Amino acid sequence: MPKQATPAVVWVHGDSLSPTNPALLANPGAPAVWVWDEELLAQWQISRKRIVFIYECLLELPVAIRRGKVVPEIRQFMQEHAAQTIVTTASPSPRFRAICQELSGSFTLEILPMPALIPPQKHLDLRRFSRYWKVAEKVIYPR
Amino acid sequence: MRREFASRADLIAYVTQVFPGATGAVSETVGGRTVALEKLAALQPDRYGHSRNELEGAVTRLSPYIRHGVLTLAEVRDHLQAQGYAWAVVEPLLRQLAWRDYWQQLYEQWGDGIWDDREPYKTGFTAADYADELPQDIINGTTSLDCMDHFSRELQTTGYLHNHARLWLAAYIIHWRRVKWQAGARWFLSHLLDGDPASNQLSWQWVASTFSVKPYYFNQENLARFSRRKWCATCPHAAQTCPFRGSYEQLHKQLFPHAEASHSSRRLGTRR
Repeated sequence: MPKQATPAVVWVHGDSLSPTNPALLANPGAPAVWVWDEELLAQWQISRKRIVFIYECLLELPVAIRRGKVVPEIRQFMQEHAAQTIVTTASPSPRFRAICQELSGSFTLEILPMPALIPPQKHLDLRRFSRYWKVAEKVIYPR
Repeated sequence: MRREFASRADLIAYVTQVFPGATGAVSETVGGRTVALEKLAALQPDRYGHSRNELEGAVTRLSPYIRHGVLTLAEVRDHLQAQGYAWAVVEPLLRQLAWRDYWQQLYEQWGDGIWDDREPYKTGFTAADYADELPQDIINGTTSLDCMDHFSRELQTTGYLHNHARLWLAAYIIHWRRVKWQAGARWFLSHLLDGDPASNQLSWQWVASTFSVKPYYFNQENLARFSRRKWCATCPHAAQTCPFRGSYEQLHKQLFPHAEASHSSRRLGTRR
């Protein structure tokens, strides 16, 4: 039995450019896509050296490289592969959240968590780093 | 888009052609998991702990890879653990990894609110007292301050600055030139290979004092010490006209005349 009822596509974004990211690991051989977000590149005035660096990362990943508007590009990639499920990895970026929301209207979206530096805490005070560190230092390096 | 390139020069030529809006130099830092793993294997946490605040110290240069998830924070930690390092050896490095995790967790909560002042400035000034735009002489590297001009050029050509140099340059922009931290943050984000909205914007806020209890600033002695007088030795301003000359107390009075008197300053190695 295949894992998903319909073929899955992996969407790789700029917060998880490793061939071992959880979405790629869970879906070996699945078609995968990266989209250069042209709006974001313009908005942040991303310089050429940053694009070259990211491009070099992409060349070590099994992804189709596209550019333009992210949602329509992914949509088209899904159609080309007759896929209904998108698998990707979590990101705190609000832009990521907005894209996911749009995609989840038409597709099944699976967002896999990234490996955490510290285990989830019931009470984690983020008001200052010192408060965070008081908790983190006890669990960050299990001895 | 293309995936096959005969050489790095070939890739660069292609990027230049298909992204005409993206300009400037190309870094010598090469992207990808292969290089990231080599750097991870070369990590020297003991030397890092002793020398990380020095510009020539044993810093890891892992940040662009971590920023883009080429390596995860957990992987770096697991690597240290597998090598069997004692806590005392790895604590300084883990603390820096934790800073990134901390910023990411705040980003999750605040979203684009990381661009807003999280708190008022504690400099005796209000946000309205700070200029909106980065002065052209800083971008052009023509302030005539050898250290700052060097940092400006290094940022724009290599996409990297040592953490201490980032803090000095940010403090110069915000506190000496009285420019809004957002202007500096936008500039850094455009150039840094590790430019991450959370780490970048919130670190700028830490320097500005809009997300910390007091502003970060430095003096000539501090910069000279951690750069081994690299610029001060030949800078024409060093002896008389350097704006960073003086004790922390003197500089506090000059920079923040309306603020409460400073009882302690923030230097690397103490609070951060």
